[in-house]
Amino acid sequence: MANVMQRSLPLASTRSPVLQFLRFRGKINIQRPKEPHYERARVIAVTQPKYPELPKARSCFKTRAERTQEQLVNPYNEIIAREVRNWLNHSQLVAIFHMNSISSEEVFRVRVQLHKQNLHLKSYGRQIISQAVTGTQYEAIMPLFHSNHCIVFSPNQQQIGQLLKITRRVPQMVLLGGIVEQTLLSRNELVAYAQMPGLQGAQAQLVQTLNLAAGQLVQHLQAHQGNLVQVLDVHAKGTGSGNSTETTDES
Amino acid sequence: MSVPFSGTLRRSGGIVSAIGKQLKSINLKGVKRITVQLDPFAENVKSTREFFFLLSTPKVVQTNPKCVVKSDIVCDRQPASIKFSLIDAAQEQAQVKEIRFNSSNLNTLELLELCNKHVSSLAPPEEVTNKVLTKAEKQKLGGGSKKVLKKK
Repeated sequence: MANVMQRSLPLASTRSPVLQFLRFRGKINIQRPKEPHYERARVIAVTQPKYPELPKARSCFKTRAERTQEQLVNPYNEIIAREVRNWLNHSQLVAIFHMNSISSEEVFRVRVQLHKQNLHLKSYGRQIISQAVTGTQYEAIMPLFHSNHCIVFSPNQQQIGQLLKITRRVPQMVLLGGIVEQTLLSRNELVAYAQMPGLQGAQAQLVQTLNLAAGQLVQHLQAHQGNLVQVLDVHAKGTGSGNSTETTDES
Repeated sequence: MSVPFSGTLRRSGGIVSAIGKQLKSINLKGVKRITVQLDPFAENVKSTREFFFLLSTPKVVQTNPKCVVKSDIVCDRQPASIKFSLIDAAQEQAQVKEIRFNSSNLNTLELLELCNKHVSSLAPPEEVTNKVLTKAEKQKLGGGSKKVLKKK
């Protein structure tokens, strides 16, 4: 009778309630979980997921960083490479410097001084420059970018003198080479180019060279007359001074 | 069956920390002038350029502000070299006037190691300047026996 009563009225029984409230007011514990029972632990161990590893041949000599993450190609690099190519194509003067350790205040000072002369100081990473330059006519400048560097662009090649004057005061910037009017120049050649006179000066030199032969002929023809005039001058001066000394002696 | 332990307990930090470690112990006190000669278009100048950069860092310059680091850019594709001109005291010690590194086949770490081995060892030892004693230190040294008790 009691058993029947127990079976028929499960809610009334005190032994095993249908609803058992686990949480009441306080915080539940998830940080120090109870060790699972052996059987439960066995089931969990068996059902852990196994992820396939890459075949060793491909990943053997890669470092851990390379194995776990692959660098995706960033399309922004292409945009910056295009900017570099633009600068290279539109500047008549490109100078490449090796940069030693320098504070940003000094860099700013140099940048301002250069900007006043319409010279633009830029610096890009080697990957981007190689992306911009390989396959074009500027490929030969690649070896200059292996270490810390900066580039100065100018649309006017006459500014080379100003550029050298400004960077002479900055010992941390070491001129390595440059491109002038699509021609690669080494450091000594750039310095020699800066020493050269401007276009008008070069034209004057050419005119002088052309007139040299005719000038020499004229000089030869006039030599004797000039000599005679000079000798007479000296003689006249000599007699003049002699007369003046005689008059002073007499008085 | 146990094999005795062999190997490292700590992993090395890589070439960058090795370079940093060498840089910390670099000392240019025995050097008057450093000339770095390189052709930027030659092969294998990367290590020379990096070494040149590291010599210009403020910490290295601080070891000897009088030492001048000059660069000589050439255009004839000759191999890169670094010349250290020593001060007189160091010259006597080392029996040479200058030390030259042919750096075209050396990498940056090797250059720094060689520099520490040959150049930093020639730095003259630092002179101990007279320390200014504070009042408390003077009392401690001299008046240990004469203790004046302060009445509160």
